[in-house]
Amino acid sequence: MALNKTSRKETEVKIALAGNPNSGKTTLFNELTGSRQHVGNWPGVTVEKKTGHAFYKEYALEVIDLPGTYSLGAYSEDEVVARDFLTAGQYDLVLDIINSANLERNLYFTIQLLEMGVDLVAVLNMADEAEKKGIKINKHKLSQMLGAPVVETVASKGRGIENLLAETIKNRDLTEPALEINYGAEIEDLITEIAKLFMEYDFTNQVNHRWAAVKLIEHDPEAVKLLEREVGSSKAKKIKSLIAERELKAKDDFDNIIIDKKYELINKIITESVKAPAAGQEPENMSDKIDAVVTNKYLGIPIFLVVMWAIFKFTFTLGDPLIGYIETLFEVIGGWAGGLLTGLGASPLVASFITDGIIGGVGSVLVFIPNIFLLFLAIGILEDSGYMSRAAYIMDKVMSKLGLHGKSFIPMVIGFGCNVPGIMATRTLENKRDRIISILINPLMSCSARLPVYVVFAGALFPNHGSTVVFSLYLLGIIMAVVMSGVFNKLLFKGERSHFVMELPPYRFPTAKGVFIHMWEKTGAFLKKAGTIIFSVVVLIWVLANLPLGVEYASANSFIGHFGRFVAPIFKPLGFGSWQAASSLVFGILAKEVVVGTLGVVYAAGETGLRTVLATQFTPLAAYSFMAMVLLYTPCIASLGAIKSETQSWKWTLVTAGYLFVLAWVVAFIIYQGGMLLGLGA
Amino acid sequence: MPLSMLRPGETGWIKEIVGGRKAKGKLNDLGFVSGKQVKIYRSSGGPLIVGIGDNRIALGKGMAHKVIVDTEGCEN
Repeated sequence: MALNKTSRKETEVKIALAGNPNSGKTTLFNELTGSRQHVGNWPGVTVEKKTGHAFYKEYALEVIDLPGTYSLGAYSEDEVVARDFLTAGQYDLVLDIINSANLERNLYFTIQLLEMGVDLVAVLNMADEAEKKGIKINKHKLSQMLGAPVVETVASKGRGIENLLAETIKNRDLTEPALEINYGAEIEDLITEIAKLFMEYDFTNQVNHRWAAVKLIEHDPEAVKLLEREVGSSKAKKIKSLIAERELKAKDDFDNIIIDKKYELINKIITESVKAPAAGQEPENMSDKIDAVVTNKYLGIPIFLVVMWAIFKFTFTLGDPLIGYIETLFEVIGGWAGGLLTGLGASPLVASFITDGIIGGVGSVLVFIPNIFLLFLAIGILEDSGYMSRAAYIMDKVMSKLGLHGKSFIPMVIGFGCNVPGIMATRTLENKRDRIISILINPLMSCSARLPVYVVFAGALFPNHGSTVVFSLYLLGIIMAVVMSGVFNKLLFKGERSHFVMELPPYRFPTAKGVFIHMWEKTGAFLKKAGTIIFSVVVLIWVLANLPLGVEYASANSFIGHFGRFVAPIFKPLGFGSWQAASSLVFGILAKEVVVGTLGVVYAAGETGLRTVLATQFTPLAAYSFMAMVLLYTPCIASLGAIKSETQSWKWTLVTAGYLFVLAWVVAFIIYQGGMLLGLGA
Repeated sequence: MPLSMLRPGETGWIKEIVGGRKAKGKLNDLGFVSGKQVKIYRSSGGPLIVGIGDNRIALGKGMAHKVIVDTEGCEN
């Protein structure tokens, strides 16, 4: 399946990494390309294909990292991405990444690729883990039986990468015949007949015809579609009825025979090329011992809550003093810049732009770098350890009451970092209904962009209970997500229950490299956001606060003041009817950090620090109501964009934007008015 | 009997997988094929945790009903 080289240089090679989840594809991708893609220890970390470049001698390699998949069956959206890429054949060579310690199941995928006629190099990754288990693989024999080159690597330690590159270049023009498995007389006869019909009907598609016939016998919906497209539906129907007719006569299910024969071959390969300690059930290992506790019927959920609480405690206790320093730093810079600019005879307008606009606005947001940093450090450790899929397991019981299952919980946890990858992570859900509901509720998971809002308000008005207040908001988000998925389940969809199947990968000690990659990437994204969108909006707001010409800066008569006053009545019953709060919420839809940035500008907080101002402008009850509003209301533009592209529907995008605003308003109303009734308004 | 009826610590051998194309395909992908030995690690409350060799798979009750096992040794 080598690419047509005529249009490209001889030294350009395009390779794709494919294989089971948790076989180390992304780690290897990072090693090969020097990229810093996020690696995690749960099925579904990579949900889209990623491209990187590697160089070896005079060759330039384009490397594509595909989402992990157990087979070409493609039951979920991320697997479809991988399958479509592999069947389209736009590459020179596939590196099939195999977890050497888990050979049987990984080879099931390898066999499918070979049967399809994919030219591949089998990469026995995690060779060290196999060694530890006493598994000895005869590479030569394995290569012979598969009809494909075999290379050994330990991607996590960077071992075998040079050799892999050399082998890749050596085999870039590999064209091996497709693997043929003997499926027994009944099926073989049928394959021959289908092949004849292919000829007769002029089926000329470039896919391997034997493979296409086998897929048709398996009733693979994609193969059926391909056939209909190529020969028309009436001829396709003839082939389908031929298969149905044979199936009726046969005494065993064709599907079963095909799967059994594949495993038979795999077992033969393993018996002849692998030496392993006596097969059968392994004794309880470390992971099982940990699981016995963390997945316990009674302890599971409390442990999960403690883990969450520990993450926030960690983020705050360590972050708070650092915020203090940075805040002081900005205040000093603000005061110093103000003084300097006035001293230099700069116009008051320029001085105001620097101190109120840039330092008050962008500075108010940048103060929170330590929190963002620590939060992603904690999430990185969580993802790398393997606890993620356990959290999904634990929550299955709760989620299934709502018609979802545990796997839908993973996108929610990812959403704590940022809702955009959270929404994309729903690709791993096999069922369309599960996916839509999971997308609709994902913005309820409190992302890192809301964190600055909480921290500034909690610091200003709840100085002694900061982390408890913030933790309660995260919980409020989870509870609302649970309630709303129940509502959507009742309102929107009936029946069609999906089933829960998910691998629980062995626990791994998080590597410093993996965790730091995650942390840098996210902190970098936060800085970039501060430099682009937050900066632009802050400048816009500063301009609006200075217009019309001659108006007192950020007064009720400025443009932003007029605008805020126009919107404010909506928020009055919620306890924050000031024009400043109202305009910050409106602009906050551009990015949630902008809420803090806007408040910084309109309160001219450049020289005093935002917390000091807020303490005089809000009561604790109003502040809590405001935080609940920021948590729940209309998601940021980036999230809405992700919802649009994942659902391919404006309807769902608008539904999300609308229902969340109403929900936020109602919840904030109950908090504020309820609090007033209870006498908490002081 | 269906896998869902085994108790923690018990082992069985998969006899067959019943159910629709999708459920069956998904189970096959994860290594649930006839003749394989499986062990139950957890079955109370939520989903089962099933061991196939070194792999641990969480399996909802609905899915576990589709896996038919023998508790007597059976070499397929």
